[in-house]
Amino acid sequence: MFVLSGLLILIAPFPQSSKTPQKRLIRIEASSFQFTPGQIHINPNDEVTVELVSMDVVHGLSLDGYDFELKADPGQTVSATFVAEKTGVFRFRCSVACGNLHPFMIGKLQIGPNQLLIRGVALLILSIVAVFYSVRQIPQFQTRLA
Amino acid sequence: MKKEFLARFLVILFILIAVAIPFAGQWLFSRNKTDIIELHARMPENGGWSIDQIDAEVNEPIHLRMTSDDVVHGIAIGKSDLPGVDIFPGEFVETTFVFDRPGQYTFYCTRWCGPNHWRMRGTIDVSGEGRPLQPEPQPLFVTLDIDIDSPPIAETVPTEQVSAERGANFASLLPTYAIDRTTYLSTSPAVLWMRLRAESALSNLSDQDIWDAVAWIWQGQTTPANLENGQRLYAENCAACHGETGKGDGVMARNNPVWDPGNHNMDKSSDSFTGEGFVRPRDFSDPKNLLGTSSALLEGKIIRGGMGTGMPYWGPIFTSQQIEDLISYLFTFAWDATSEANLD
Amino acid sequence: MVRMDLTRYPWALSILRNRWPQFLLRAVTLAGFIFTILAGLFGSTVGSHNFAIIFVWIAWWTALKLIFIPFGGRSWCSICPIPMPGEWLQNGGILIPRGKGFGLNKRWPKALRGSWLQAGGFLLIGLFGALTLTSASVTAFVLLFIIVLAFVLSLVFERRSFCNYLCPIGGFTGLYAQAGPVEVRVKDAEVCASHAEKTCYNACPWGQYPLALKSSANCGLCMECLRVCPSDNIVVNLRPWGSDLGPKTKHRLDEAFLGLVMLASALVDSAVFLGPWGELKSAAYSIGSTPWFIFAGVFLFAAFVILPGFYVGAVLLSIQLDSTRITLRQSLAKYSQVLVPLGLMAWIAFTISFAFAKFSYVLPVISDPLGWGWNLIGYSNTAWVGQSTSLSLLLQIVILAAGLFWSSRVAFRISETPRVALPMIAFCGIFSYTMLWLLIG
Repeated sequence: MFVLSGLLILIAPFPQSSKTPQKRLIRIEASSFQFTPGQIHINPNDEVTVELVSMDVVHGLSLDGYDFELKADPGQTVSATFVAEKTGVFRFRCSVACGNLHPFMIGKLQIGPNQLLIRGVALLILSIVAVFYSVRQIPQFQTRLA
Repeated sequence: MKKEFLARFLVILFILIAVAIPFAGQWLFSRNKTDIIELHARMPENGGWSIDQIDAEVNEPIHLRMTSDDVVHGIAIGKSDLPGVDIFPGEFVETTFVFDRPGQYTFYCTRWCGPNHWRMRGTIDVSGEGRPLQPEPQPLFVTLDIDIDSPPIAETVPTEQVSAERGANFASLLPTYAIDRTTYLSTSPAVLWMRLRAESALSNLSDQDIWDAVAWIWQGQTTPANLENGQRLYAENCAACHGETGKGDGVMARNNPVWDPGNHNMDKSSDSFTGEGFVRPRDFSDPKNLLGTSSALLEGKIIRGGMGTGMPYWGPIFTSQQIEDLISYLFTFAWDATSEANLD
Repeated sequence: MVRMDLTRYPWALSILRNRWPQFLLRAVTLAGFIFTILAGLFGSTVGSHNFAIIFVWIAWWTALKLIFIPFGGRSWCSICPIPMPGEWLQNGGILIPRGKGFGLNKRWPKALRGSWLQAGGFLLIGLFGALTLTSASVTAFVLLFIIVLAFVLSLVFERRSFCNYLCPIGGFTGLYAQAGPVEVRVKDAEVCASHAEKTCYNACPWGQYPLALKSSANCGLCMECLRVCPSDNIVVNLRPWGSDLGPKTKHRLDEAFLGLVMLASALVDSAVFLGPWGELKSAAYSIGSTPWFIFAGVFLFAAFVILPGFYVGAVLLSIQLDSTRITLRQSLAKYSQVLVPLGLMAWIAFTISFAFAKFSYVLPVISDPLGWGWNLIGYSNTAWVGQSTSLSLLLQIVILAAGLFWSSRVAFRISETPRVALPMIAFCGIFSYTMLWLLIG
């Protein structure tokens, strides 16, 4: 039963947000080893134009979950547009090796509510409920509870 | 006891294999490549090119095996139209250069790799038979004795958006010196405007008409293809400091203070490596700056660089055609921005 | 509880008892360890093209947390190359049990016993983690330092003093091995009781007496006891996960500290390596600078004050709720068990997030281990950017929820009444949520 409700929490459809999509221009500055801004929040179905400005060396921006990548040299801003069709939190990473911490040059783009975090919290609560249920079956506890 | 010795033998054998892999591997891989030069590209802060001087013979190919130890770099030969080769961190790329004339060549980094990117330069000394490289003719700013270190300010600028198209209507009225190339090279737009304004034959024209005519003259000294080439060169080499719109707010320089004659202190020398003491480049989109500047002065700045300003010298890098294209592109910042000039 | 005795199967017994399979693995890992040091010292400075970085921090570190510990407890310790040169010297041979050999054989100072130093070592790795994880030469120097230290200590002190009291990874694996499904125990306690010689204790490099083993934390699964027992009275059991955690096992205060250090490290590593805070990364990387000292201060504050503070608070609360008399010290030690499944699952979730996106680096560094442009197996330069897929994100959630379930269950089982366990469960819940937020949020 707990497994079932756990599954339900993980895959149940989420109500779609009713915010009207809008066009956005997001300028992201990339320097070793950070994106500024590093955290961006937009609404589902927004038409997003990302402008990547490189501040020191050649950097890239590749967005998890989307087929979206930019590469920019300092002095040569690049931009591209995509429609935020998928909701959730997506990490974007530098896609051009830019030094030691390059693998950890990460930012995050939140599209709509963070469903996964909400599902996660629900699952955490469920697991505590499940513990209460499971310890009731341990004999010595039954006597103690009684 | 036999087993014990076998075990000890195996331990030693395995360790020997582990040690042998790097050394034997290096020997195997470099055996047939004795004439290959391994060149590591590093940011100037990390040491720059691992080799910054290469000796070669005329018509003898130079084989380079290159990699980057930190960020993306590139390599190209100065004063040549050959495209650069990109060098990616941890990846190896090979290229071959052949020179058919003796002389000193410059190789340089083509991808911005930090504020000191332009310092990534090295020389190739090519010796042997052949017609040596021609020394460059004296740049115009030297023969004209222009002081390129005191940036001139245009005494007058247009009050409305100029139009080269409109200016074309007055072409037949212009004196011959106005459309002469030497005039374009040695005179700033503002100075030419004042000369034309003083011409009695043009007294019927308004101030704006004459600005339009000057813009038309400037346009006539270049071609769309040259402008496009200039734009590309500007984006790749200049925009990181001068800004993509020419405002002097490029990513490498935008945190520097704006130049102000009041706080300029000649005794305080600037630190050219850290950039401390540098100011922002001048705003090309402010017509007061470029319209007072002649092509010869810009050429001088590009070839020689700025003294203590952080502006690198590009003499060994660009061909004279490339510098000419760049200059024509630079002037478009001023012409395109003239409409904004009267806003302030 | 259900146990499966592996020694009942002749093939398993011979694999475990024969010295050769283990010796060959050890010889290979030792050679690999030396190769890793060489690669780190002489190979490419570009981490993603250096065997040392990818194999230590992506391949091995992941395997340790996802395979060795969850499915074998301290199984890595059984084939770890680090103590081997010293131990072979101590024993006077490779295939020889403990006995006559070199070394001063001194006892480890009493004051330095327990996991305190291991916890400190783990913190030290964390403080310099951003540099160590990304610089091949620093990784090589750390490995070199560790193996030399282990060697020198084995000449001065008896047995595996380095592993027992110093090795940070030993602390990590030992702590979480209590949750692992493997144990070495005696078959029949009567047989041992009547055997005065204690062959097994004398042979144990870890200084354990199998008859007294209640927890697998300090047993390195080296199988020496199995090999020397004259009565074949040693068994290797597969057991349910978490068997060492319960009301009957004894725990010490240093285990609680070790557990809390691991929790703090999991949080800080998640924030530094997986978070979107670039300044934090730069601070953690620029060792010796003011931002780094601030970072180190915050890290140590989290490890010494914040997490222990919450933990002590939770334990104090549960003492209030408890009707039986139990001292704070006992309680702090007892509830350290709760930190074991909580931390293990948090580290697994972190590893999934950290390493899965980077696995594409593994084949290329086999193809070109030193980053010198070789292409041994044709996979050089095939690495891609990598990303976290929705599957790996879901997996992280499930793992964290399972960790919360498991640790709460342990809390219940070791508490007198369910009420007493509540503060501890709240502690676990807050930690799990923080971890969830760092990984998913």
